[in-house]
Amino acid sequence: MMHNPLRPPPPLRLVDAAPAPSSATPQAIIRVEDLSIVFDVRRGQVIAVDRVSLAVMSGEFVSLVGPSGCGKSTLLNAMAGLERPFEGQVMVAGEPMLAPRPDIGMVFQQPHLFPWKSVRRNIAHGPRALGKSKAEALRTADDLIEMIGLTKFANAYPHTLSGGMQQRVAIARALANQPRVLLMDEPFGALDAQTRAVMQDNLLELRDRINATIVFVTHDIDEAILLSDRVLIMSAGPGRILRDLSVGLPRPRSSAILTDPAYLALKRDCLDLIRTEGRKAFEQMETVT
Amino acid sequence: MSIGGRNRANAAGRLSVLVGVLSVPTFVGVWELIARSRIVNAVLFPPPSTVAVAVLDWIHSGQFFEDLSASLFRVTAGFLIGTAGGIMLGVLTGQFRLVSSLLSPLFHILRPIPPIAFVPIVILWFGLSEAGKLFLVVWGVFFTVWLATHIGVQKVDRGLIRAAQMLGTPRRQMLSEIVLLGALPYIVVGLRTAVSISFYTLVAAELAGAFAGIVYRIEIAQQNMQTGQVMGGLAALGLLSFIADRSFAAIAERAVWWR
Ligand SMILES: Nc1ncnc2c1ncn2[C@@H]1O[C@H](COP(=O)(O)OP(=O)(O)O)[C@@H](O)[C@H]1O
Ligand SMILES: [Mg+2]
Repeated sequence: MMHNPLRPPPPLRLVDAAPAPSSATPQAIIRVEDLSIVFDVRRGQVIAVDRVSLAVMSGEFVSLVGPSGCGKSTLLNAMAGLERPFEGQVMVAGEPMLAPRPDIGMVFQQPHLFPWKSVRRNIAHGPRALGKSKAEALRTADDLIEMIGLTKFANAYPHTLSGGMQQRVAIARALANQPRVLLMDEPFGALDAQTRAVMQDNLLELRDRINATIVFVTHDIDEAILLSDRVLIMSAGPGRILRDLSVGLPRPRSSAILTDPAYLALKRDCLDLIRTEGRKAFEQMETVT
Repeated sequence: MSIGGRNRANAAGRLSVLVGVLSVPTFVGVWELIARSRIVNAVLFPPPSTVAVAVLDWIHSGQFFEDLSASLFRVTAGFLIGTAGGIMLGVLTGQFRLVSSLLSPLFHILRPIPPIAFVPIVILWFGLSEAGKLFLVVWGVFFTVWLATHIGVQKVDRGLIRAAQMLGTPRRQMLSEIVLLGALPYIVVGLRTAVSISFYTLVAAELAGAFAGIVYRIEIAQQNMQTGQVMGGLAALGLLSFIADRSFAAIAERAVWWR
């Protein structure tokens, strides 16, 4: 679906041909230690993230699930270097995160493409910003455009594309810097159900071809289980990690797992937790107002 | 719509085009008739034919082009200088809190004072020199462009800035590309207002005393009771600012090229 069936897939310049990390001692690439994040608001302060600790192994796909307002975006932004810790710290690849770093890519819920740049130049933006030559940046862009199946739209401006296409461009743009970590904040949250299903398949396929660790925020439990190696369930705000569930389902995955008993058991677990938390969040709101 | 209805709509459309084409000639014709009928004083209210003769004389004497180029220079140079300064400072005050705290209060106090009110002090400072005239036009243009840029910069989508940060965009490129282009739609609106302001301040600048210029010529003609020349000057000024506004609108449409 992603490339012309008559042609072999393009050579991937994007991936170091390194083998998958040896399973002997997996390395934590992201370490969040006792992280709290507090926002100043008009009347006092809001604790958005409350003493969260977690580790993500190199090459892992981890989802963060929780009711809205529980601090998922704030936690992810801290991993991106867009939010400073109030207490505790975030280490990525052994370095504390204090500002954005080009080896960490981010895809937001909205595509946030540069409206004045064509698809091709949007994707080339990162490599150019990092000082690559124009020719090299455009070559990277063209490879990625082929990978996301938008060759026909290479010179189109973002506003002429559908929401799903824009989000594919945003993913390609984040991948152009060959990030070691890809952070995704409800990237398919604004898409309709059909597009969303296609995008999930695309992401599964893409994941086999890139070499990045992925942290994926969603409030869709099916999406989390389908995509992830591990699902972290967060409490209603202030956010803490309630449960850390390993998804032992085999890969490659397809919608067939939706009837797998192991999947159903996992989903029931998650839903129970989320229901309880959702109710708590709702009651908190009631008492506040 | 039925065929009859469409015909009616076509007929109405053709009629309004016809009326549009005849509008100005009719107006000029009525003016000519009234002025010649001696209902009004022909010295104060000369017919269009007299105005046309005055304009032809103006052109033949060679003064027209001298006046035109003097006025055009003041408007263009003033517009460009004021725009460059306004955009530069607008990006700085819009982007940096500290610069804004330093300059915005001052600018907000100075901006509402009509530029014409500065004529007396400009004469004290610059006399009748060209610098004083430029100063007035620059002054009027600057504040309009500064405010539009300042607001535009603050309205740049935070998401775009975060996306650019995540991609490793250097600080300079952040200002010169993401912030500036993000604010461009607002800046262009400000520039269009600035075009008319530059003409309006030009009038003040030339009335304050000059040695050439379209408005200067109007004033001289008034002192000599050459009413035809006065009206010809007004027409030239109107035509000039009309052309400036229209060509700017055409440029503005292309300036935000991604729309
Ligand atoms: N910039 C901010 N200023 C003040 N409060 C904020 C800010 N960002 C988030 N919050 C608050 O922090 C909490 C967590 O927000 P967020 O991380 O966006 O949650 P989620 O992504 O899980 O929906 C919410 O109560 C939200 O109102
Ligand atoms: Mg969120």
